[in-house]
Amino acid sequence: MDIFGSFALLLALVAAVYAFVAGIAGIITHRALLIKSARNAGMAVCVLVAVAVATLEFFLQTDNFSLAYVAEHSNTALPWYYKFAALWSGQEGSLLWWTFLLSIYVFFALFLNRKRHPELMPYVGVILSGVQIFFLTLNNFVASPFSVLGAADGSGVMHLARIAEGSGLNPLLQYPEMVIHPPMLYSGYTGFTIPFAFALAALLGRYPGEKWIHITRRWTMVAWTFQTIGILLGAHWAYAVLGWGGYWSWDPVENASLLPWITATAFLHSVMMQEKRGMMKIWNVWLVFVTFMLCILGTMLTRSGVVSSVHAFAESSIGGWFVGFLAIILAVCLVAWYRNRDYLRSDNQLDSLVSRESSFLFNNLILLAACFAVLWGTLFPVFSEWFTGSKISVGPPFFNKVNVPIALFLIFLTGVGPLLAWRKTSLDGLRRNFAWPLAVGVASGIAAYIFGFRNFYALICLILSVFVTLTIFSEFYRGARVIAARDHTDLFTAARELTMRNTRRYGGYIVHFGMIVIFIGIAGSAFNKDVERQMHVGDTLQIGPYSLLVQNFDETTNANYDAQRATIEVFRDGKSQMMLFPERRTYSASGVTETIVAVESSPLRDLYVVYSGISPDTNQPVLHAYLNPLVKWIWFGGVIVVLGTGLAMLPNRRNAIVLRPVESRISDPLTGGGTVVPAVGPISRSTSTHE
Amino acid sequence: MSDLLRIELSSGAASRRGRPRDLQSGPPAVPLYRAREVRGSARFLIYVAASLLLVLVTCVSAPAQEGAINAPDATLSPAQAARAESLGKRVKCMCGGCDDAAGMCTHSGGNFAGPCDVAKAELKEIDDRVAKGQSDDQILQAFVQEYGPTVLIEPPKKGFDLLAWVMPIALPIIAVLLVWGVVTRWRERSSTLAPAGGPPVDANLLARAQHESGQADE
Repeated sequence: MDIFGSFALLLALVAAVYAFVAGIAGIITHRALLIKSARNAGMAVCVLVAVAVATLEFFLQTDNFSLAYVAEHSNTALPWYYKFAALWSGQEGSLLWWTFLLSIYVFFALFLNRKRHPELMPYVGVILSGVQIFFLTLNNFVASPFSVLGAADGSGVMHLARIAEGSGLNPLLQYPEMVIHPPMLYSGYTGFTIPFAFALAALLGRYPGEKWIHITRRWTMVAWTFQTIGILLGAHWAYAVLGWGGYWSWDPVENASLLPWITATAFLHSVMMQEKRGMMKIWNVWLVFVTFMLCILGTMLTRSGVVSSVHAFAESSIGGWFVGFLAIILAVCLVAWYRNRDYLRSDNQLDSLVSRESSFLFNNLILLAACFAVLWGTLFPVFSEWFTGSKISVGPPFFNKVNVPIALFLIFLTGVGPLLAWRKTSLDGLRRNFAWPLAVGVASGIAAYIFGFRNFYALICLILSVFVTLTIFSEFYRGARVIAARDHTDLFTAARELTMRNTRRYGGYIVHFGMIVIFIGIAGSAFNKDVERQMHVGDTLQIGPYSLLVQNFDETTNANYDAQRATIEVFRDGKSQMMLFPERRTYSASGVTETIVAVESSPLRDLYVVYSGISPDTNQPVLHAYLNPLVKWIWFGGVIVVLGTGLAMLPNRRNAIVLRPVESRISDPLTGGGTVVPAVGPISRSTSTHE
Repeated sequence: MSDLLRIELSSGAASRRGRPRDLQSGPPAVPLYRAREVRGSARFLIYVAASLLLVLVTCVSAPAQEGAINAPDATLSPAQAARAESLGKRVKCMCGGCDDAAGMCTHSGGNFAGPCDVAKAELKEIDDRVAKGQSDDQILQAFVQEYGPTVLIEPPKKGFDLLAWVMPIALPIIAVLLVWGVVTRWRERSSTLAPAGGPPVDANLLARAQHESGQADE
């Protein structure tokens, strides 16, 4: 049965190689049949990898411990959904999962465009199959998930073996989010392959027009959404499971997921420069390239453990494969760009430093600065060990110090950018648009200071957040007012109409608003508190407005784990509020102990209680309570971001052709900021939707 | 049977690699080994066992401390205690089992999810040195002497490691200057080219034209 999976993987590799070779031959000879068969081979890879994934999943579900992967990552007592998640909990399985998600993307990219872009698609197919060849090579020859267990008999001859029980899934991964988080994050990582393929294909094939940039943008948004969800779910998992009271520790694996997200964010902004003004083409192409390379780098950091030590590099041969692949990608990108650089010439020049264009330039610069700072900090221990021979640490304080100012400046640009007009903005217009949001922002900062919030960065963040929120709402308000006056509807209906007419712009504003909500949540961490204390039954612990009364310590047990549990009654102002049950679970299969945090979450603050266990010094139970303000805003902001992105991906509502005279109140582009009077002309139509 | 083995062997090019480095470094309970991975697995087992033993020994053998967890030294003044606390967050816990600052060490996966004894010993040393009136720098230097530069949670701001701090600031500044230069060049070029663009266009008309052709900004 494992032959089945192995052969499926091997055939997938053969199909990918065929798609690659036949695709190149098709491009050279222009033979339609060859191109078509290459495309079909590319789609067949998806089916074959799916067969391999299904085979491995079947082994996991049926507890077939003759397979090394199943024996190492599962056990009989594991619930079925965690057996399902065990698929991507180890090296071999998660690389297979990478290949599988990539092949799904490839399938759809090839299938949806089978009748479109005949000059572009053969190149896309070749590039995609090139990437697939790399991952399928890893799956087949470097980290095969279908390795079987063997045991030597008395004479030293190896025989296949099957053991009675597996060593179980890492308890840290036995959490509902771990079933969703990796597929989301991997969908992000793999998804960035598609925009990469389209950008490189357009460059290699010198595809005429700007069509490719629209396609690239659409696919980037899909991958970006998954990456956003994946990162936030990962943060939530860390918060709810790891039990240290935080959600982000600037760990190499976390940073790895953030890097392509940042460059993709930069691309989604600068792509507008190319669409509207035909500028920054080289920049955009390189942003797409770099995003993909960072995805591969991220996968390497996650899989090879190179950052924890240079020596881990030699330990795991997989790191070398990734470095080689990265070098090939970089070389291909450089050559493609150098040979076709005239293709990327700008149509327009920058007219003013105070314009939408320059705000995009700065936005990109700041985002890349953030990306570089994170990458630099992540890889610096490796550099330092190479150059000086001594190992140093780059801990969370470094990343916070470097990135917090960058993030604050980015928030500022979020508010300023959309208010600037394309080409040129007059200072008067600037003043009119900015004065009152900024004034209200500063006022709220002063108010917060008076009420005792004395953290500098948190105050700046508050001021900027209020400012940006007001500018966003005033954008909606100004647009909606015009429509409401024209159609005689209420403001709410008008705002909806406005949004649906230009989903991309207003969806973007909603994403910005969601990010602001997230930043406010992060700023709350400046006011975190925690108390750790030995507690007996009947003891009370005071933290913030809460008193925690320990009612009981007891133990429960089931097939999967034994748990020690604390029962805590939470009082506020002398009134009983709720019961919390923090636990420590010891998993039977692995013998590993895990903290189950009890969190009482409210919009204002989270009460986060960890039962630390019995202190080895005094044999007394210890509780660790954290008060984390505003954490819920981060998750809520994430939901807004995802909804906003979904909205931005919807096609614009097209207007019916109405014979009505054009209203004279079209905004002056020199002073009107970003306000555009919504479509009111006779043949007015909204921006065309792409593909 | 031999078919099965052949499949494994053909895909077993990874015989030299160590074990997958995943989240789970739990006890390697599989008593068998993969074909052609015997040496790698054995080395891995020894490595895991040794490091577990090391953590266990360091976390158990250090002298037990009386009283509350993380309690500041009673002899310190409030200002000194605050200093000691902030220093505790600037040195790493060197037990090898966590990647946290000594002052924030919690071993959520261990037998006890609190600061381990290594972390507690480090905090105690900080308290003692603060009580002796040593400066922050002296104390951190003493830790570097004892454990090497890894003990500092941030890279030191001297020598090669200064680059860690300089680059994230220098590079954006260089980039801004570059962009500035490019923009100035663009503007010069566009100002010389502009007259060739045809007669001046009324701003209102331009906006309307852009709007109707679907190029209005988004």
